[in-house]
Amino acid sequence: MYKKLFTVLLITLLLSPAFLFAGGDKEGGSKEVVIYTALEEDETADYLALAEKELPGLDIKWVRYSTGELAAKLIAEKDNPQADLVWGTAVTVLANMKDLFEPYKAEGWNALPSEFKDPDGYWTAIDMYVAAFCVNTDRLEKKGLPIPRSWEDLTKPEYAGEIIMPNPGSSGTGYLQVSSILLWKGIKDGSEEGWEFLQRLHKNIVEYTNSGSAPAKIASKGEVAIGASFGYRAAKQLDSGYPVEVIFPSEGSGDELEANSLLKGAKNAENAKKFLDWAISKNAMELYSRYKIMVTLPGVESQSSIPLPPASEVKLFDMDFDWTAANKTAVVDKWTTLFQDKTIAK
Amino acid sequence: MSTTSTGSLKDKRTIIEDKYIVYIIGGLIGLFLIIFLALPVLNILRLSLTEYIPEQHQFTGKLSFSNFTGYFQKPAMVQALLNSLWIALWTTLFTTVLAFIFAYGLTRTTIRWKKSLYYLAMIPLIAPSMLQAMALISLFGSNGLITAGLFNTDWNIYGPNGIIIAEVLYSFPHAMVILYTTLSAVDSRMDEAASSLGASGLTSFFKITIPTSRYGIFSAAALVFNLAITDFGNPIIIGRGYRVLSTEIYLQVIGMQRFDLGTTVAVILMVPSVIAFLLNYYFTKKSASLISSLANPEIPPSRKGKKIFFTAYSWTIAFILLSIVGVIIYKSFVKVWMYNWTPTLAHFNFRIPGGMGVLWTSLWISLTVGVFGAIFTMLNGYVIEKKNPFFAQPLYLLSIIPAAIPGLVMGLGYILIYNTRFLNLDDILYGMPLLIIINVIVSNFTLGTLSSITNMKNIDNSMDEAATSLGAGVTKTFLQVIFPLSRVSFMSNLIYYFMRSMVTVSAVLFLISPDVHLAAVSVINLEKDGKDGSSAAMSTLIMLVVVVVLVIFGLFTRKKKDVVVVE
Repeated sequence: MYKKLFTVLLITLLLSPAFLFAGGDKEGGSKEVVIYTALEEDETADYLALAEKELPGLDIKWVRYSTGELAAKLIAEKDNPQADLVWGTAVTVLANMKDLFEPYKAEGWNALPSEFKDPDGYWTAIDMYVAAFCVNTDRLEKKGLPIPRSWEDLTKPEYAGEIIMPNPGSSGTGYLQVSSILLWKGIKDGSEEGWEFLQRLHKNIVEYTNSGSAPAKIASKGEVAIGASFGYRAAKQLDSGYPVEVIFPSEGSGDELEANSLLKGAKNAENAKKFLDWAISKNAMELYSRYKIMVTLPGVESQSSIPLPPASEVKLFDMDFDWTAANKTAVVDKWTTLFQDKTIAK
Repeated sequence: MSTTSTGSLKDKRTIIEDKYIVYIIGGLIGLFLIIFLALPVLNILRLSLTEYIPEQHQFTGKLSFSNFTGYFQKPAMVQALLNSLWIALWTTLFTTVLAFIFAYGLTRTTIRWKKSLYYLAMIPLIAPSMLQAMALISLFGSNGLITAGLFNTDWNIYGPNGIIIAEVLYSFPHAMVILYTTLSAVDSRMDEAASSLGASGLTSFFKITIPTSRYGIFSAAALVFNLAITDFGNPIIIGRGYRVLSTEIYLQVIGMQRFDLGTTVAVILMVPSVIAFLLNYYFTKKSASLISSLANPEIPPSRKGKKIFFTAYSWTIAFILLSIVGVIIYKSFVKVWMYNWTPTLAHFNFRIPGGMGVLWTSLWISLTVGVFGAIFTMLNGYVIEKKNPFFAQPLYLLSIIPAAIPGLVMGLGYILIYNTRFLNLDDILYGMPLLIIINVIVSNFTLGTLSSITNMKNIDNSMDEAATSLGAGVTKTFLQVIFPLSRVSFMSNLIYYFMRSMVTVSAVLFLISPDVHLAAVSVINLEKDGKDGSSAAMSTLIMLVVVVVLVIFGLFTRKKKDVVVVE
């Protein structure tokens, strides 16, 4: 009867205060380090297994957010940071949030080429990811369409309504695609050709998603034929058994770095530094290389466990990270005015 | 709670003392709502009127209306507002009508299997939000099982129609609960009287049944309107380029890190929501009390045609709701939807922070939410409806506002205020399960309070008066008269809160921390990572946990006939 039920509930309630504050050991966290990451959850699990072995003195706590969520969370918490460090998120985002970070040159920092780190140590990159199309061969076959091989192919009228792309305002991948196209078409020399190309491309786009992995995901499910996404995600979809092909456009692929930063006002700064040291160590890099097209430590080759070629076999656009970071707001603003009507949050 | 040990005061008890007890309880609930509802929301309002420098991620503190003027200068943004209204209005119409007919069948006809139908109608409540859209796409997307698999057609469900269908499926049980309670509480003898005076079935339906239950209809409609206009899970998945305000907030804040525009859109979104509830409030006050303590006599046997119609109708609805969930369960056991139907358990091997432990975390948090949510809303309903102190109206208003606040906004409001040094609350709240518990209780305060008020209306004032005139004080009246009469309502609130807490995503998305990972949030993260199968598998496990807990609750309640939810 009800009495029994209330007894059960009462016991639940008596137990719950123990949980309410469980794990909230904020003060005595001498071993604790809190990490926000945008790396995929399954790879992170592998990396942390190694980290826990090699950093026995640390109690690692982590949350995984998408790049945009992570940035929003950092900004919202900036007066009272909850995390100690950021691990593996897009550099174009980090580079615009330097006021939130404490410069730190981790142990082994000197071994990394200068294009993979901020000169003052605000961010240090661990790997590179590359734009790629995730093409659903099953859907193309049904529609009687050939596999697109280049950016130029994507503007052909027969692909109208079959392409999904990320929004450059919210997605690191989206921004690297748009900025690499603009750079390719010579925007630095004052050419408007890049924008004209994007206009033509726009005619074929079904929607702009909020995240860079969504296009690959949607295309692999067969909801559209082509998702402009990035290599790892497209290869992952192929690996999961979807009828897709990973296409690196023949003109070139844009690329972007994923990097680490130490947060200003980190509560466990010393532990965070230990982790950041580990995060660019050779052992860590070797483990990253099983998931990445390229890692930033020279001498560690990509040995991807998924069907992904090493960066040396992919034609890359000439990126200019100084230009892309400095012009992000202007490019995104212009892009938004031109194309925003097809943007949705995803 | 703090007022339950007043036995020794029996002789000295006066009406004045009772008044203070009511004041203290009502005041504490009010204070709770002010701190955890009004402050975060007002803070959002303040920030929407504050100048923001995007490059520095910094509000300057200067008053500025540029966010709002800027908003109405962008046609795409104005369109999002119109789109939201369009979606919400159609959803309100469809859901209210469909749910009313369903609830009518359960309360006013003698169809069989009522209890099963009632529980089947509740199915969407046990599913993580977004599940409707996920299932609809699996069935009716460009490469859906029915559209591509069965008919090989290019037609698909994306866009506004898809959102409306998903929202109807999502909001159905919410409306059904209110209408069911109303139709159970409204005196059906008036219908009988009308038909014995010669009115036809349809006449008495339109002249008696609908007018007498209009209070519940408006309540349900307002709630559905708000659910539809504030939901963001379904439009995100199925909208495809069709922009609504809730997804716009997400895009601005999460996508672009524009907290100024995000708070602005949040404020604009709150306008229609709050108007809907003010209308509801107005109609409620106008409507006379049509509820009596003797409202539930035996229903006379329904005519055969009526029975056939309501049986067919109810089971069709139940079947649709069941298949939405069924698709997701099925999906969690096949390798690759549409491409490889080999059965597999691989999707249940979760590689996420917290692992399987997220289910346990969700479970105990939700049980705690259930118990405290039910207690708070019941006390609240009692204070507002039965005791009517001078602050009853502001308290009522505070209590119904949560439904007008999108979960995402509430979560955003919480981190914007509880992570600062404000009252030093961050040390005990931020990143803690307690903040999530409070957030879920507050976010769902509306329906809890409304159903509690309806329940209190259902308890004849003569009960209260009789107890008082026999010398019982307010505490004793509550514990020995009101509470026993409200056990059904208490339990259904507890269950409602428990289920909401198990499946809520948007409100707590911002509140998960390295210490607290929740199952429903994992569903979204898995979906975002492209692990559809695992996402479906986690949804399946959440639903399983909810069903198991409900069955346990059911075992306790079944023994006594008068506490069963139906009949």
